[in-house]
Parts: sequence; C-alpha cells; structure tokens
Amino acid sequence: MAVTRYTKMAYDCADDMVFGKAKQPVSYGFGLKIGAGEVIPEINYAPRPGTEKDAERLRKEYVDYISKDILNRAVTAGFPSVQLETEWVSQMNQAKLSAPVVAGQKEICEKYHEEYGVNCGTRQTIPDQREAEEGLRPGMGGSHAYPEKLFECAEIACENGADNLSCESVGGKEFADYAVTNGDIVAFLFGVGYLGSIDMTYIWQEFADIAKKNKCVAGGDTNCSGANVSMFMAGGFLDNDVQKTFSAVTRCISAARTLAAWEAGAVGPDKDCGYEGIICKAIAGKPTAQEGKNCQCAHCDLQGNLIAQCCDLWSNESVEYHPEFGGTSVQCWFGSIAYEAALMNCATQMGQEKTLRDLYMYTDRFRGPEGYVLAYDNAYKVGQAIAENGNDLYLRSRAAGLTGAKIILEGYESKKLGLTNKQLETLQDIIKKLEALPEDTDKFYEYCVKEYKDTVPLFNPKSYDL
Amino acid sequence: MLSCEGADFSKVLKRYDIDLQVEMTPQEMAAKLLPADPVFHKVAEEVMYMRFKTVGPVVAQAIKERDPLDVINKGLVAGMEIVAKLYAEHVYYLPEIMMAAKTMEIGIALAEKQVPGGRESKATIVMHAAEGDPHDIGKNIAAVMMRSSGYTVIDMGRDVPVVDAVAKVEEVKPLFISGTALMTTTMTAFPAEAKMLKDKGYNTPVMGCGGAVNREYANSYDLGIYSEKAPQTPLIAQKLLDGYDWQKIREEWDNIVGE
Repeated sequence: MAVTRYTKMAYDCADDMVFGKAKQPVSYGFGLKIGAGEVIPEINYAPRPGTEKDAERLRKEYVDYISKDILNRAVTAGFPSVQLETEWVSQMNQAKLSAPVVAGQKEICEKYHEEYGVNCGTRQTIPDQREAEEGLRPGMGGSHAYPEKLFECAEIACENGADNLSCESVGGKEFADYAVTNGDIVAFLFGVGYLGSIDMTYIWQEFADIAKKNKCVAGGDTNCSGANVSMFMAGGFLDNDVQKTFSAVTRCISAARTLAAWEAGAVGPDKDCGYEGIICKAIAGKPTAQEGKNCQCAHCDLQGNLIAQCCDLWSNESVEYHPEFGGTSVQCWFGSIAYEAALMNCATQMGQEKTLRDLYMYTDRFRGPEGYVLAYDNAYKVGQAIAENGNDLYLRSRAAGLTGAKIILEGYESKKLGLTNKQLETLQDIIKKLEALPEDTDKFYEYCVKEYKDTVPLFNPKSYDL
Repeated sequence: MLSCEGADFSKVLKRYDIDLQVEMTPQEMAAKLLPADPVFHKVAEEVMYMRFKTVGPVVAQAIKERDPLDVINKGLVAGMEIVAKLYAEHVYYLPEIMMAAKTMEIGIALAEKQVPGGRESKATIVMHAAEGDPHDIGKNIAAVMMRSSGYTVIDMGRDVPVVDAVAKVEEVKPLFISGTALMTTTMTAFPAEAKMLKDKGYNTPVMGCGGAVNREYANSYDLGIYSEKAPQTPLIAQKLLDGYDWQKIREEWDNIVGE
C-alpha cells in the first residue's frame, strides 16, 4: 500500500468538526456507517480469567455470553447500532483460539441484524506482543517470533470475518517507557514521534494489504502504549507521578504517530483509547473512536466529557465480563455508552449538535492541561502544526509537541488555565528542550542515538530499518 | 463556538491540584532533613539534587574521609530517604525518584568496592511481568524503589514463563517474588506459580500487582499477597523481613500500606 503523508487539513476550520460526522465516513459490517451522521456506541470487554485456557471456553465466553448479552440489550433498550470490539488476549495469537471467536462474532452479528435489524459489526484488535529486545521486524531472530505472529494475527482476523482490523502497536515503547518515568520529553519525541511513526508506517502498509485482500476495513491504531501510560501516570489530582503538562505534550506528539496508520492505508475509525484522535480527525477527516466519561469501568481521566466533542464511535474502553445488578457488565456499560450516543444523535436531529459539542468541551476545558490542549479548537491548531510539516516524521512530531506546549502556556498566561508551580516549571522546561533541538532529522537522530546509548539499551535501529 | 463569557467554572470543577499544592521548595524541606556531618551532608545532597554526573567524585572524596559503609548508609541512602519524603509530600515526583535512585546507585557501586566483603543487602527479591504480558513499566518503577531501599532485585523482565519464574525462586530462594500483569488472562500466571511453589514445598509469597490485578484476586490463591502501587512494595517487604508470612501480610495489609 502506498504511503501518502498529510500536508493539509481536511477541515477548513475547527468549528466544522462535530461528533458523528467525518469528512470520509466508513461503512462495514451489517449496516454500520461510521462518521455518516450518527455516533455509534462501541463496547469492549475482557473475558473472565481462566477462560483463555481452552478454545471452546473462550469462544463461548466471547460469543455466547458477551456478544449475545450486548446484542440482546440493544434490542431490549432500543439501541439501533453497536460495534463490538474484541481486544485479543495474548493467547489468541494461536488460530485455534482466535478463529472461532472472530467467526462466531461475525455469525451472531449477522443473526441479530437479520432478525432484529440491529446495525452491528466487529472490530478485531490484534495484540502487538513484539519486544524491543528481540526486535520488531520479522526475521530478527527472537525466540517468540512475535513480529511474525503480529501479521499472522492480522491474517487470522481478516480471514475469519473481522469487519474492522485494528491494533495497539508498540513501536517506540522502549523509549516511551523511559521517557515517561524519567520525565524526558526528547526521549518521547524520538521514540514515539519518530521511531514509532516509522514502525506504524511499516506495519500498517502490511495490515492494509491484508485487510484489502480479505475485504476487511483497516481501521487504525493508537498510542496507548505511550501517551496513555503518560496520562494514567499523571492521573487525577491525588496521583501526579507524572506532571500533567508533560502528559499533555506527549499526547500532542502521539498524534503525529497515530496519523501514520491512516497515511499507510488504514481508513478509520481509529482506536478509542487514542485521545489524540481529535487531532488526527482534524487533519485527515477520517472517523475517530473516543472514550471518556463512560469508560470509568476501565480508568478515570480529566476530560471525560470534552473528549466526546467530535467522536464518531463512543466507547467504554474495556470491562471484565461479570454480573452486575443491572445485568452483565457488558450490558450495563453498553447501556451507558449507548444512551450517551443517543443524546448526541438527538442533538444532531434537532440541529443542536454544535451546542452539545461545546457544552461537552467547556465542561472539562479548564480541568487540566491535557483537556485544554485537546479542546477541538486547540487540537485543530496542533493538527495544523503537524500538517505544515507533514512530510518529515521528526519535524512534525516536534511541531506538534511545541505547538501544544505553547497553547498551554498561553492559556496559563492569559489566566484561563490554572497550572501548579511544578506543572508550569515542567512545561517551560519542555519548551526549552524542544526549541533547542536541531532542525535537521539526521542530526536529531545522531544526537538521540548518542544521548540514549546507555539509558535505553533495548533500542535496536534494525527494528526501524535504520 | 459558544462563548463562555460570564460562566463560573468553579461551579463546574475544582482544581484540587492547584488549591492544595505544596509551596515549600525541596531546599526548604531538605534543610531540616540533611545529615549534620559535612561529608555525609554533601553526599546526601548529590542524591537529593540528582547530580548523577558529579556524585562519583564526591563519593570518591568522601570515602577518603569516612568509612565507606557509612558513606553509603549515612550519605547516599540518607539522601534517598529524603527524596522518598519529598515524594510522599508531593514536592518530588516520579522522575526525581528515578534520577535520584540512579545517582545513589552510581555512588553505592563506587563506595561498596571499598567495603570488605561487599555491602550486605537486606534480602533478594525476584520480579517479573507475567507470561504473555509485555507491560512492565510498573515492575520497573517498583524495582527502582526496592533497590533504593537496599534490596537485591533479580529482574527477570517481561513475558516470563511460569516455569522460569518458579525455577528462579528455587534457585535464589528470595524473600518474595512479585509479578505484574495488565491483562485478566495473563494474571492467571500468579496462582499457577504459587501452586507450583506450594507443591514443591515452598512458602515464598507470590505478590500479584499490575493494572488487571486487584487485592481480592491476589488474595484468592495460597501464597498470594498484593501491592497496589510501587511505593507500597518496600513497606510490605520490610514486614516480611520482620517475620510476617503471607497470611499475616494479608491480615494487616491496610495498616502496612496505610499512610
């Protein structure tokens, strides 16, 4: 699949973006139309511990219990559409475990579509188990052969009926882990912005080909392994292991990486846990999945309402399957996201979508720096910085980080956004460090290789074809 | 875009982080905590201010003037204890912990060469991320905190097969083994390890940690104990050193990790 970098914005202005509508909607599954005017709930789940031990138990858990419960609840409560997301557990890298699940979910979706008219389909998110120490590319000799398994999983998913092929890839994670724990924004820029984008470009060209061959839609990716780790460690107001200004800037950088999947042939929607999706949507016009206030079963963040502002799928992130008072956990959390989607779709029908979008956005705009920079008007500016430097993976990532950092600083200086002393100090240090970096990619690469030789020993240039 | 002119967002959200931030600087806090002895004071400051590029020469000079073991315990470790206090008070954050620990380790490596027979560690522990699980950032943070607290850490890395983890316990007989898991289907490695150890006659606690693991799960298998956050692990380890077994750790867990 050819790679086409984005060098201009899909939207003429930030105000043109709204939830449920994307410039380039995508259709798949049984009647699902993503970004074509309605927000669709996307429910994600984890099987109970122990069910992974044999293929039939796992199939039964995913298909006969989880999927059936969700689709029944759709009919019970009158929800017209649902996307099921199966994030494969690690054991599903064996076809004997994964193929029956994928095929079974396809079959049950078809049944509910035919019998009740529920618009539905599945996103199969395959596991990226590649380890930096063994190498990220096939043939690098790791004992687990994880790179080979990654592409085998894509084949299994697409051949057995996945509607949307997605992944949470780990390229650049060896630097991201170091960067987040040590507060090193340059390491994050190098690992996620530069190396991660190279890796994404490579794997998504392959995924897009596999998906096309099997008439499956290549959805997208996320920087869950980097920017989300950063966000979770920045935590709520009681946590703060990582500074929230640091986390916010990592989010901006991650957008340049997540975008690479779409440049390499994926068409969307991307993954819900990519909070950077708003920036990517602004650039590419492809539909984005998001999660926030209705994913409290999985984690808490500080932009739970805001992040719904321009979503096309609205997700619960993930919930372990178990009983609750209101039904099974998947039914309860499906109800939560589906009612939220119904509110958004009602707003659209009544011509109030921009009002609701802005209410979502303002609710969390000042709750913290990450929400502030992800508010759609600011996210659009970060997107512009990426597009203006679109052909250079390093420069566009750096521009994203620097633009995001300056937006936050400007918000603070204009007394709109509050920051603690430590958050401000970290932000100023980030700006100083990003501004001091070379303008030339080769020089940046040489600098980083030398700088992180001892501190990130797992880095192997061959993993990135360098 | 709607105008927010006139909206009072204090009715919408509360910035506890700003309202409750600690205004005291590290320097102000450390003034009360640094050792009085000028040599140890200087060494502790190196750790406290994360001067990993200059800690070497400072320690080299200190061991000429003081006993090397004292340089470690009263200088380097004392400095790290101050860092831990600053962390607990939200003056320092995780990056400072990581850099201070690195600084301390550089200093200890230098000083302990001069200690006859080497420096005695409190105990050996084994750490790993569960089989099939590539997520190990929490383990890495906990490993730093355990090393900083004077333990020898055998870090087996991530995606460690159950049999390898058990074999390592048999080989080194650690105070405990800890494992992290981010997925519900990989955390099942911990009860499997515990069962194998128990069958072989070991009573070594198997600490379950990580995003997917909760206290109920870690307490659901014999030998299982729980640590929710990395800073809790040294507190639990100390109790094991004091003679607690896994049952007593469970019984007193709230008190052990309580603020």
